[in-house]
Amino acid sequence: MAETSHWTGSDKYLCDPALAQAFHMARSLGMPLLIEGEPGTGKTELPIHYAKDRGLDLEVYPVGSKSNVEQFVARFDHVKYLRDSQIEILNAQREEKGLASKLTTGNRNPELLKDYVVKGPAAIAYSKPNSVLLIDEIDKAPREFPNDLLYALSHRKFIMPESGEVIEVSEEDMPAIVITSNREQELPTAFKGRCIYHYIDFPDQEVMAKIIEKHHPRLDEKVVRVALDVFYHLRRLGLERAPTTREILNWLKYMGEIAPKEAVKKIEGLHGIGALIKTQGDMERVNRLIGADENFGGSRFN
Amino acid sequence: MFSSLPEKFRSHGLKADVRTLLLLRKAMQKGLVKTLGDIYNVLKGIIVKGPTDLGPFTKAYYEYFLQVPIQPGQTLQDAILRSETFAQWKTQFLDEADRDLNDEELVNTFLDQVHLTSYDIKEVVSGKEIWDKDNPDQEDKDAVDQEGQPAERVLDKMADYSELSLEELLERMEKVRQQQKTQHGGGSHWIGTGGISPYGHGGAAKNGIRVGGQGGGKMARKVMGDKNYFPIDRDALLNDNNIDAALASIKGVIEESAIEKLDVPETIKSGLKRGGLFIPEMSSEKNEELKVIVLIDNGGYSMAPYVRSVQNLFRKMKTRFAHDLEVYYFHNTIYNHVYTDERRTKSISIEKLLAHDKAYRVFFIGDAAMAPYELNSLSIESIKSLAHKFKKAVWLNPEPLKYWPHTYTIQVMKQLIPMFPLTPSGIERAVRAMNTKSIEG
Repeated sequence: MAETSHWTGSDKYLCDPALAQAFHMARSLGMPLLIEGEPGTGKTELPIHYAKDRGLDLEVYPVGSKSNVEQFVARFDHVKYLRDSQIEILNAQREEKGLASKLTTGNRNPELLKDYVVKGPAAIAYSKPNSVLLIDEIDKAPREFPNDLLYALSHRKFIMPESGEVIEVSEEDMPAIVITSNREQELPTAFKGRCIYHYIDFPDQEVMAKIIEKHHPRLDEKVVRVALDVFYHLRRLGLERAPTTREILNWLKYMGEIAPKEAVKKIEGLHGIGALIKTQGDMERVNRLIGADENFGGSRFN
Repeated sequence: MFSSLPEKFRSHGLKADVRTLLLLRKAMQKGLVKTLGDIYNVLKGIIVKGPTDLGPFTKAYYEYFLQVPIQPGQTLQDAILRSETFAQWKTQFLDEADRDLNDEELVNTFLDQVHLTSYDIKEVVSGKEIWDKDNPDQEDKDAVDQEGQPAERVLDKMADYSELSLEELLERMEKVRQQQKTQHGGGSHWIGTGGISPYGHGGAAKNGIRVGGQGGGKMARKVMGDKNYFPIDRDALLNDNNIDAALASIKGVIEESAIEKLDVPETIKSGLKRGGLFIPEMSSEKNEELKVIVLIDNGGYSMAPYVRSVQNLFRKMKTRFAHDLEVYYFHNTIYNHVYTDERRTKSISIEKLLAHDKAYRVFFIGDAAMAPYELNSLSIESIKSLAHKFKKAVWLNPEPLKYWPHTYTIQVMKQLIPMFPLTPSGIERAVRAMNTKSIEG
C-alpha cells in the first residue's frame, strides 16, 4: 500500500499548505504531481525532503536536452550481451589449450535477455512500491519526451526493451511521482491532463522568513529582516532575472558567518550582492537605482 | 451528476470534459472530498493547467457551485456581497450570530466557510468550549491575538459529507445545485445550516470545528484582482494592456514561419570545393530582414481611440525587431497620395510608395467605414495596385467583427485586401496569412 497520508513538510522544508494538499491528492489518486513556478521556489526540494522525512526510496531523473525514454525507463546493454555470448566460445577454446581458469559472465545468463536490461529510474521506482520518483525540469526535454511517457503514466506499466518483460504497478502501489517544470516550454496538453497540476506562488515576506528560519535557524532576526527588505525591494525593481529563494539563502549563508552587527552593515551596503543579481544588465540597473557601492549607507532600508 | 460542469468550465476557456468528472468521482471515492472547499481544491488540481487558468477557474467555480457571478473587473468581495447566495447565507448567519459584523467580516466568514477544506479541520470542538471562549475574558484574548500569531479560526459549522455514501453525496450536491439555480428564496444551502451541515443543525453554535492553516479564501480573493492569474483576452481590441500579447503574436509567427530553403549558390560553391560532390545546403529564412510599411487611417472620430495603441504597437515593434519600419497616414481611403505626418500636411505620392521593395509587409489599419462615394474607382485602383505590388499586405480593422457584414465599404475593401480584426489573435492570423504568401509573381 502506497503512502497516502497527508504530509505537511519537515523541519527542513516548509511546505505551502496548498502544495501539500495537491501532493496528497496526487498520491491518493495515483497520479503524478506536476509543479510549476519560478526558479528557486523549492519545486525539486519537495520530493527529496518528503522521501527523506518518510524514509522512502527516491529515484531522480534530471531531464536534459538529450533525454529520452530509454534512459528514463530502461535500456538493453548490447555490449555486455555480446561479450557474454562470446565467453562460452572463449572458455571452450581455453579448455582446449588446457587452461584451468575460466572467464565468468558474472552470473548473467546469455539465455536470459532480462539479465542485460539496465533499468532506469522509472523502472526501478515502478518495481518498488512506496517509492518516490522525481522527474526534474521536464521542460528541458525534447518535445517527444513527455509524449512518450503518456502510456506509462496512464496505464502504469513499462515494457522492457528486448526482453519484453512488463513492469506493472497497481494504482495502490504507484510511486509518488513529482514532475517539475520552469515553463521554458509549454508541455503537451495530453501530458498535463494526466497530472495533478500545482503552480507555486512566490512566497511573501512572512513565509520567506519562515523558510529562512528552517535553513539557517541560528541567524540573527534583525539580519534576516534587513536582508528580506533588500531582497523584496530588489524583486520590485522589475529586474530581468529577479532574485529567488535559492539566492537569498545563499546570500544569508555567507552573512551567517559574520557577527550580526557587521552583517547588517554589510547587507545594507549590499555586500556580496552578486549572490542575488545574476546578469550584467541587472547589476547596472541596481547600481543606477540604488547605488550598490561603498558610499551607499543603506539609509533607504532603515 | 454534475453533467453540466464540463460545459460551464469550458465556457470560461478551461479544459474540462468527461474525464474531469471521472477524476472528481475517483477523488470522492478516495475520501478527498468532504467539504465544499475540498471540491475547489480537487477540481483545481484537475482542471487548472497553468497560472493563467487560476483566475477563470475561480470565477467558474463561484458561478457554478455558489451561483456567484463575477463580472470582469469586479472584486470577489463585491461579487459576493451582491449575490443572492450571500444574502441568504447572511440572513441565516446573522440569526445565529449574537453580534453584528460589518461587510468585510461577513465576507471573510463566508469565504472561510466556502474554502474550508478537510485539511484545515484540526478538531471538532464542543459547544462548551466555544461557550467558554465567549466569556468576558475575551477582551484579553483579543489583545494577545493582535500581537502574536493570527487567531485560530473557529467556525461554527461545516458541511461534513463524510458520513454520507458517495451516491448520497452526489445526489445531494446535484439537488442543491439545481435548487439554487431555480429557487425563489429559502430551501437550499451549500454552506451554512440547512440540509448539509450536521453541525449546528437546528441550534445555534452548539458545536463547531476548529480550523488551522491558511484560508483558501485569501487565495481566491487575491486571484480575482491579479492579472497574473487571468489570461489576456486575445479577442479584445488592441489596447495598452494587451499590446505585448499582440507584439508577441507578430514576433512569434515570424519566427515560426522560418522555413528552410535550398540555397542553390551555396550548394554549388561548397560542392565545387568538395570536388564535385554536391550536398544540398539549406539556409533558413529566419535572417530575412523584416521590412514593414504601416498605413494608418487617423482621420475622423471613428479611428481616434485606436491610433495611439496602434502607434505604440508598431513603435515597440520597431525597437524590438523590425528596424525598417515606415508609417504613413491616410483618411478613410487612399487616393493618389499618403501622408508622412500625423496631421496630414506633407504627402508622398502613391507611385513613390509603390517604388518600395516588394519584400515590404504592408499593414493597413483602419475601420474602412466611409461614405460609399468615397470609395471611387481612383481609390480602388490605388489600393489594388498596392495589393498587387505588395503581396504581403493585410488590413487590420478595429471595428467589431459582427458589424463587418453591415458595412458596404468594409465588404468592398475585404475583397481587395485580406482583412482581420485588430486584436492579438487577429494580428496573429494576419501575420500567418502574410507568411503563406510568396513575394514572387
